[in-house]
Amino acid sequence: MSATTTESRAAQRTSSLASSRKFKAFATTFSISGPVIYCLIQYFNYPLVTYWPATGRLGWGYEGARPGAGPNMLWYGWTVTTILIASALGIVAMIIPERLTKKIPLWLVWLLPILAVPYIVYSLMYWWRLAAR
Amino acid sequence: MNAGLRPDVSPLLGGNAAMGGLISTNTFWTLWLFVHLISALGLLGALTHQAMAVALPVRKPAAGIVSRFRAVPAAGYATAVCVLYVITFVVGSFIYTQYRIAIRIPLEARHYYKTGGFFDFKEHVAVIGLVLLPAYWYFWKNAQNPEYDNARKGVTLVLAVAVWFLFIVGHVLNNTRGFAS
Repeated sequence: MSATTTESRAAQRTSSLASSRKFKAFATTFSISGPVIYCLIQYFNYPLVTYWPATGRLGWGYEGARPGAGPNMLWYGWTVTTILIASALGIVAMIIPERLTKKIPLWLVWLLPILAVPYIVYSLMYWWRLAAR
Repeated sequence: MNAGLRPDVSPLLGGNAAMGGLISTNTFWTLWLFVHLISALGLLGALTHQAMAVALPVRKPAAGIVSRFRAVPAAGYATAVCVLYVITFVVGSFIYTQYRIAIRIPLEARHYYKTGGFFDFKEHVAVIGLVLLPAYWYFWKNAQNPEYDNARKGVTLVLAVAVWFLFIVGHVLNNTRGFAS
């Protein structure tokens, strides 16, 4: 089989989404910015919603402890905020010229999640301090 | 019990009533935990195959079981990995509400602080893994393009390590206070 045939078959197997340059800009920007945004959102505590599992209540933004309402859950809010901001950045990357998005180093996709780990461990200091008592 | 608390959320809050009259609350959550486990196992298997295929690619026809494990057509796993990750994530997010009340509070009361801390670690790693999926999928769908080789290898290995971490922490937590507790 010739190299040209192999290449054309490989190209045929690629879906239209996977061959789209705009999707590449979206996907790489989303995945590069996502871990950074998540760490920032969690650090500054900007959840889109607060969930109260004992009552089933869902409130907008951050809601602190309330007497008789049980514990609150911020993780859902952090996750949704991260996905929305990363999606917005991804859409911006689709709009701006390709010559700019091509300059984004792809190794950031795997490096930034690794760099996020020390921060995550640090952010859980509450637990580690309790465990060390 | 405080007024307005969901009766189904936890036996600790006094709720152990049947769900729709068919199954008990404990059975309901145990079934969802089981769905979470099964989808996590599928994800773990697919991603481990892929990670082995990119980290230690087979250059000769596969002979032994280890070589055959590494010699899978890894690109074909990408969509399945994304779908399984999202299913596992969504089901895990659902049972997290029960964890927060019925598991975490007793863990704290019994001073299992490392276990609680590692669960919070797990929830953060799960989100970071989730946001990597679009790039991961794109790199694998363009596996014939050498421009993405290093990024594809890196993101696959990071995802595989993350999923193994999520699985082990979930497993330890289940042993601490999971099925039938």
